[in-house]
Amino acid sequence: MEAKERVNDTEEKEEAWSWGAGTEGQLGTGKLQDEHIPQLLPILSSLSLLSCGGAHVIALTPGKMVLTWGRGTSGQLGHGNLVNSLEPKPVDLLNNYNITHVSAGWNHSGFVSESGHLYTCGDGSFGQLGLGDYRSQNCPIKVSCFAFRHVEQIACGMRHSLALLKGEHGDQVYSFGSGKRGQLGTSNEKIKSISLPRSVSGLEEVKVSSIIANGDHSAALSADGHLYTWGRGFGGTPEVCCPNRVISPFSFTQATLGWNHALILTDEGEVLMLGGSHHGVLNNPQKENLAKQDSNEAHLQKIHGLNRIKVVGIASGAEHSVLTTENGVVMTWGWGEHGQLGLGSTSDHTSPQVVRLGENVAHEHMTSKVYCGSGFTFVVRTQRGKRD
Amino acid sequence: MSYDDVEIEDMEWNEELKAFTYPCPCGDLFQITKDELKIGEEIARCPSCSLYITVIYNMEDFSDQKSKTNIEPAKQQPVAVA
Ligand SMILES: [Zn+2]
Repeated sequence: MEAKERVNDTEEKEEAWSWGAGTEGQLGTGKLQDEHIPQLLPILSSLSLLSCGGAHVIALTPGKMVLTWGRGTSGQLGHGNLVNSLEPKPVDLLNNYNITHVSAGWNHSGFVSESGHLYTCGDGSFGQLGLGDYRSQNCPIKVSCFAFRHVEQIACGMRHSLALLKGEHGDQVYSFGSGKRGQLGTSNEKIKSISLPRSVSGLEEVKVSSIIANGDHSAALSADGHLYTWGRGFGGTPEVCCPNRVISPFSFTQATLGWNHALILTDEGEVLMLGGSHHGVLNNPQKENLAKQDSNEAHLQKIHGLNRIKVVGIASGAEHSVLTTENGVVMTWGWGEHGQLGLGSTSDHTSPQVVRLGENVAHEHMTSKVYCGSGFTFVVRTQRGKRD
Repeated sequence: MSYDDVEIEDMEWNEELKAFTYPCPCGDLFQITKDELKIGEEIARCPSCSLYITVIYNMEDFSDQKSKTNIEPAKQQPVAVA
């Protein structure tokens, strides 16, 4: 997402690491097993964007090549078959499209091209491919309904998708797929499912900078730092069928969604959490409610134990959370049964713990980008060293 | 503790597993068979982890006496071959 510019007089070394649930090949290690400690992936040296789904991964290389691996049984890898792939494999069909944005959902995938076209594949049982039917596809198919529009981003959830369109008439967010929990945000009533994109209501006046989907949750982050959420509630709050602004005195720069929680990064480098009554929860008894809200609204909690460390990136798995600091340190917390916290055990943690990535210690020339699938984690770490 | 309560109509029939399924946060699927539903079982387990969900359904819909016409869960569609 925020690809760092390369500086001529420095040397960059990029490393990709993965850990957690791995029995579908989603870790890219070439093995079908869970990993409790971070695994260095030698084959993935340079990546510009990663997106992790239920058990598959989509990666974009700087040369705009699309690689996928992991579970392929619904066609979500786009390889033209229904087979899992233990190692990153190019999606040949997208070679000439200059793909700039990708998203991996539970069992479906979305790809956006430089020219503004959207392609989808994988499970379509709920209409989440946006192709006007309920069929699944094993090769990326162009969403024809957007043929004359400019799609900029795609976000794939469990059974639904969001698309961000840019144009003369401003930004527009569209949704398609299952709406049982209100995650489509298209009307005041819940819609069972739609297979053709429909406009999300209530965001017409908002300049949307990014869209987020996971589980039965949907969200949009505005350019002026506001977060809107809809779909399944957080922490026992009711479902919301239309975008609802999260009330907070802070300005937000990034937001990620799990299946029962949301993580939000403020412009001051602090992390807040919404919901998390299940495994993503921080059971800190001293948790501080930042805004006094009525019981129908989820409480925003500050993540404790960070001691004013500046956070620059966040990611949410279904039930675990990952952050990275300005020195490239990676921390995890939440559900750990599959080793998705990368701490060498299967224990859960209620506060952020530092993950050891090989022997290298964090320093000022290091940055990390963090990504989560349902039960697994990926980190791409860049080290810049001055040339002699 | 049950991870979630899920209505049977939100579960998908998986022909390969011969079970109704629902996504598990670990990446695998919660599963329950028709035979289990018939005897009143309401817990669907995930074979890969310790989590389970509570399935909300009407037991009579699955008993032998009744016809199966009442059950209409989301069906898995065949994958189109391009
Ligand atoms: Zn599981």
